[in-house]
Amino acid sequence: MTHTDDKPAVQIASLNKWYGAFHVLKEVNLTIPSGSRVVICGPSGSGKSTLIRCLNGLEAYQQGTVTLGTIRLGDNARETALARRQTGMVFQSFNLFPHLSVLSNCTLALRRVLSMPRNEAESLARHFLEKVRIPEQADKYPAQLSGGQQQRVAIARALCMNPRLMLFDEPTSALDPEMVKEVLDVMTGLAHEGMTMICVTHEMGFAREVADQVVFMDQGSIVEQASPLTFFTTPSHPRAQSFLNTLLH
Amino acid sequence: MTILEIWLGILQGFRVTALVTLYGLVFAIPFGLVFGVAQYLTTGPARFVVTSIIEFWRSSAVIILLFVFYYALPLAGLALSAMTVSAMVLGLNIGGYASQAVRAGLQALDRGQKEAGHALGLSRSTILLRIELPQALVAMSPTFINQLIQLVKATSLVSLVTLTDMTFRAKEISQIEYDPVPIYTSLLLAYFIVCYPVALFGRWVERRINPAREAYRAV
Ligand SMILES: Nc1ncnc2c1ncn2[C@@H]1O[C@H](COP(=O)(O)OP(=O)(O)OP(=O)(O)O)[C@@H](O)[C@H]1O
Ligand SMILES: [Mg+2]
Repeated sequence: MTHTDDKPAVQIASLNKWYGAFHVLKEVNLTIPSGSRVVICGPSGSGKSTLIRCLNGLEAYQQGTVTLGTIRLGDNARETALARRQTGMVFQSFNLFPHLSVLSNCTLALRRVLSMPRNEAESLARHFLEKVRIPEQADKYPAQLSGGQQQRVAIARALCMNPRLMLFDEPTSALDPEMVKEVLDVMTGLAHEGMTMICVTHEMGFAREVADQVVFMDQGSIVEQASPLTFFTTPSHPRAQSFLNTLLH
Repeated sequence: MTILEIWLGILQGFRVTALVTLYGLVFAIPFGLVFGVAQYLTTGPARFVVTSIIEFWRSSAVIILLFVFYYALPLAGLALSAMTVSAMVLGLNIGGYASQAVRAGLQALDRGQKEAGHALGLSRSTILLRIELPQALVAMSPTFINQLIQLVKATSLVSLVTLTDMTFRAKEISQIEYDPVPIYTSLLLAYFIVCYPVALFGRWVERRINPAREAYRAV
């Protein structure tokens, strides 16, 4: 057990990252209590994806620390791998494995990382496919599913590893409008079960309903952090105000 | 000599042609896989070494390599049989081409595949073996079949290092019986008869893997 109730799920301190000379994350500080739901929004190129990719080791950073539960990333290879395994990630473009069936997409890590026997892995996978409401698609290949179904498989695949933290990077922005809701419903369900979630999204309805903090980023910095009510009604930073205006139009 | 006798004569070389092809694959497949993957994974000086080895086998003229390994190496005290030299030179030459298909297939995969594997906690080797290679090899299978056909045809060079393959037999027959037209026409047909089933096999493989590929191309 690496996350305890008194430790925040995520603690980001003075995080700085550069791409060559380009300063992409500037002094980012953020604490996310266990069980909370944080929505990150901001204009394109503001560093949202880069920030959440730093939380599970998909991006390296040059300065600062990221602590997941009690594990500080990069201190110890074995612990870092453990923290990473306990962090689920859902991508904008799903990134399912096209050569594997839906069921095998879900069981691959259970079998190869946790060495779980096949039967056990499959019944766990079926449990989570049921949870995202597509148990009947288990034997299909990803491309035989709609975008919304694929994204739900991706969520089930991440949940199979029993994550302490779920990261979502614009999970609905590659979807046709009629499929957005089925994915958001699954995410809302997860939130109600108490999953710690960090979600980059511009679905403001979801943010209002589910988030307990909204983080607004611009040009690599967090410029506003507030409850959804405050953020949507009385944003204090002018760039947040104009961002919200463009979203409404 | 009747056409039938010519045919039977050429056929006596079939065993050698088939053996050079098979032993050639024993060199080509591991070389193509290992060096293709190595070129994909390495950077800097290591990559330079890997690339140099691939280029040596891929860019040298096969016929010269055959002569060098068969006639020159014994002078340095290393005598290899004609079969070994032929299988190695032809195999590694085709393997050099195959390695480029392996590397290109790996490089063409969406970066998100590797990232999704990392995000699930899979090790680098599991990602390679379970996610990247299966997709890359399937995508490149038509290229591999082409290279197999090229290997079969390239075996006709081994007659130059004394192996009695189909081409060698045809040359022998044409020395006894000065009638090159039917002899070499028969030889041409003989290679076609060997290669065409390989091409058909390739189509069969493609059809077999296609249901899954069609499925993921559709989106
Ligand atoms: N590999 C890279 N090399 C160089 N620059 C990069 C790289 N990846 C991202 N960037 C730059 O870093 C900045 C932040 O990118 P990031 O993807 O985090 O933005 P984002 O807020 O997620 O934007 P979007 O809403 O478009 O997804 C952008 O200006 C982008 O061009
Ligand atoms: Mg992004």
